[in-house]
Amino acid sequence: MPEDFYLYVRGATEVIPPGYSESGMRAYRHLVMLGACQMIEAHFPAIRQQLGEPAWKELIQAFVRQSAWTSHYYGDLKDEFLAFLARESDREDT
Amino acid sequence: MAGLGYRGEMADWDMSAVEADFFEVAPENWIKRDRSPLYKLLDSGRPVMLHGVSLSLGGQAPIQQEFLMAVRELMTDLGTDYYSDHLAASGDAHQLYDLFPIPFTDREVIRISDRIKEVQNILGLRIAVENTTYYTNVGEMNEVEFLMQVVERADCNILLDINNIAVNHKNHHLTNVHHFVSHVDMQRVTYIHVAGHEFDERFGLYIDTHSQTVETETREVALELFQQHHIPILLEWDNDIPALTTINQELSCLKTFIST
Repeated sequence: MPEDFYLYVRGATEVIPPGYSESGMRAYRHLVMLGACQMIEAHFPAIRQQLGEPAWKELIQAFVRQSAWTSHYYGDLKDEFLAFLARESDREDT
Repeated sequence: MAGLGYRGEMADWDMSAVEADFFEVAPENWIKRDRSPLYKLLDSGRPVMLHGVSLSLGGQAPIQQEFLMAVRELMTDLGTDYYSDHLAASGDAHQLYDLFPIPFTDREVIRISDRIKEVQNILGLRIAVENTTYYTNVGEMNEVEFLMQVVERADCNILLDINNIAVNHKNHHLTNVHHFVSHVDMQRVTYIHVAGHEFDERFGLYIDTHSQTVETETREVALELFQQHHIPILLEWDNDIPALTTINQELSCLKTFIST
């Protein structure tokens, strides 16, 4: 599995890896975004409404793009999201 | 014999009214949680099988012994010998909480079957791997060749998902359900998955949503396999879960005798 496959799925590149279809790659990127959105929204239901749709989408895209999640438990995305927000906050402060 | 994938949304249901002969849950959802709903299912005399989503047999991360020990403990607690996961990757060396395709290549046959053997050695039992839906993939062999080479080299079982074969055929027009099934060693099949799927016009692809009734061809192939080989069938319905009566209707259709 080429590294490019997961770079595309994370939204870190727009280059379709050789041999794969553009529609299939877009479907995988969409499904990962959907999974992240659903879990974060379940734990933090107010954020989406507070931010508005464009900013919410941008936030989740950034969360997915930098991801290096390791837990077997999907529910642990909540903790990853809090750590991501803390890192982003630190980065903005420096 | 028809089973049902038990989901959190069913927590308020009267499960004694659900006409399933057995159930299936994702171990990842129960290892760290209160298991009393599962004990109630067991108390009703119906077994609970484990079907994982995060093993990432196709991924690059090392197999996590600690996770498998937690799965083993759950198996003991529920009294089941059935644990399966997908013939897919959950990400690269990290998790992305979805299922991604493994290239259908000789090199991957060796790598993946070695990983399955490692899992079986840690658990001390034979697992099953499920043939999965893929939306794009690469490789020099077809899917059923890849599946059979992996399971024979790993000496593991198969969880045969008829819906996934149907979705892949609709999307890629490569191997139809009857051809695929005719190349599977039924001695290795623990049970069968059936589900529904939807067309997504954004991608021009059928997506394995588990949100619809089971298609006639999928149901009939599953029933044929049950009648010929006594392989149990399990219904997966994960999104837009309908009323209990609809689930019972679907389960009833999966217990109907058909003339072959």
